Amino acid sequence: MAILEAEGLSKVYETRGVVTPALHDIDLAIEEGEFTALSGPSGSGKTTLLNLFGGLDTPTAGTVRLDGQALEELSASELSDLRLRKLGFVFQAYNLIPVLTAAENIEFVMELQGVPTAERRARAEALLKDVELEGLGDKRPLEMSGGQQQRVAVARAIASQPRVVLADEPTANLDSGTAGRLLELMERMNGERGVTFLFSTHDPLVISRARRNVQLHDGRVLSDGALSDR
Amino acid sequence: MSMVLRLAWRNAWRNSRRTGIVVTAVAIGISGTLLTMAVNFGMVFQMVETAIENEVGHLQIHARGFDENPELAVRLVDGGRESIALLEHEEGVRAFSRRVRGEGLLSSPRASAGVRVLGIEPEREGRVTRIAASVVEGSYLDGDGRRLLLGRELARRLEVGVGDKVVLSVQDLSGELTGEALRVAGLFDTASQALDRSTIFMQLGASQALLGLDHSVSEVVAVADSRDQVDRLRRELSAALPGAEVRSWEQLQPLLVYMVDVFDQSAWMIYAAVFVAMAFGIANVLLMTIYERTREIGIMRAIGFGRGRLVATIVVEALVVTFVGLLVGFVGALIGVYLLRDGIDLSGMAEGLEYLGVGTRIVPVLRTSDFTTPLAVAAVTAFVASAWPAWRAVRLRPAEAVRHT
Repeated sequence: MAILEAEGLSKVYETRGVVTPALHDIDLAIEEGEFTALSGPSGSGKTTLLNLFGGLDTPTAGTVRLDGQALEELSASELSDLRLRKLGFVFQAYNLIPVLTAAENIEFVMELQGVPTAERRARAEALLKDVELEGLGDKRPLEMSGGQQQRVAVARAIASQPRVVLADEPTANLDSGTAGRLLELMERMNGERGVTFLFSTHDPLVISRARRNVQLHDGRVLSDGALSDR
Repeated sequence: MSMVLRLAWRNAWRNSRRTGIVVTAVAIGISGTLLTMAVNFGMVFQMVETAIENEVGHLQIHARGFDENPELAVRLVDGGRESIALLEHEEGVRAFSRRVRGEGLLSSPRASAGVRVLGIEPEREGRVTRIAASVVEGSYLDGDGRRLLLGRELARRLEVGVGDKVVLSVQDLSGELTGEALRVAGLFDTASQALDRSTIFMQLGASQALLGLDHSVSEVVAVADSRDQVDRLRRELSAALPGAEVRSWEQLQPLLVYMVDVFDQSAWMIYAAVFVAMAFGIANVLLMTIYERTREIGIMRAIGFGRGRLVATIVVEALVVTFVGLLVGFVGALIGVYLLRDGIDLSGMAEGLEYLGVGTRIVPVLRTSDFTTPLAVAAVTAFVASAWPAWRAVRLRPAEAVRHT
């Protein structure tokens, strides 16, 4: 069964009478354990689709299902709870809460989930080690490089043991070396922990690392296919 | 909850300069208000103390009917013996004394003035009121019944001094006009203009004889160990003395009680005005911070930080800023009161202050309620000030907020 499903999904933005179609009748299913790229040029609808999959926005038409649950049937607080328990997010930049340390940022979602203090400390420590930031747990985001911050963001995204991590252009602000290391990390998390990753990008180098690429153009799926057996 | 507190505390100090300005504004506002309150209440407190210490005492016992008709005829015919027997054994009574209260005309060779005549037991009265300590010329009353004390102001009007002879004319219990020549033993000067201008003190026995009261007295006045005991003592004495009227200083001086009430009510209004102004400042800062943190709020909401927690964080942040300001303001006010512990010299306004029954040196007084009231008002302020920013924050749509730059 697909972990994420979009059925007849459309989204139209309307600002001061100006109507801007963003997505047209998208049908898409993401299976559990996939490592999928949503690619396409700016304005193709990648971020909109990720926001709809994450329940951060509501579709104009169609349905989004996460783990079989239709998101439009949920209240705001139920959506918030669903995101907390089943989804992880990595954004383009400035992902972290500046007043919290790296370790506290990772613990943040676990604390929201009610994980006991000792357990979440241990899990945050292990995750910092996993993302090769051991010893930097006490650093605040502003004391870390962009690449380090994105690693912490990935660690935070998987700290809640989500079913799916949605990443919106996670490497956009990173140099190619740092971006490569971040992708390796995401691949490892996907391989070792079985977390489904769906990330948007328009960087061909990043697309080439995905196992499946869904290409969007003007709010429609242009192509959808496996890239290689990696 | 610890997460909310941690986030609120750290967010509050994230822009330390901006928070510092708000904290300083709150601190200056509250310390200034508290100091003003302390001086005002110091004045009211002094009025109450002056009234209690100079004449009224904490409790007075009269014959029934005296409240409505305070005349010589309404008197304690047993000379206050029953009351004294009770007061001697009543716990919490510090001192008591008997008095005769009448009216008369005091004449010197050059002028005359209508006066209130208080016949007192000099030694006991000295323990009940401060009249003995208020004698500034001559001496206090002794065993000689032909001597009297009068206020320096009255002496000036009558153009008499210590040792001079004056004539006191009164209407006695039977309605006969009578009088007696008395010698000025001493002059007193209190903070009460009414006392200084129109009251004379003479020995109890002499006043009883002059007014034809035999052994009767007009009242028994008592002071308690503390004001907290007054109500209890009044209840107990009232129950034990069914034929008498036992009244507390609050019943005897309703105007003073009214002034204290008015002061307390005006305090609330001042706090409200100060805190409403503060609320706008705090709300403004919070709105700015919400705007600056739009993206961060979007991310927090995206990863599962619910609306309730978001509102709590903003409210607690407002509480942190307000209460830190309040705390600094309290410390400032305490330092101010400490520095003014010897009182503020207002001798330039002596005449007006004496009219109010206040001395020329006002010592600021802070009460517990001066700290608890602003705490309550500040809490409400913080809630009100954070309501709009919190509403703005929860209305942010995560999808838009995370794109905010």
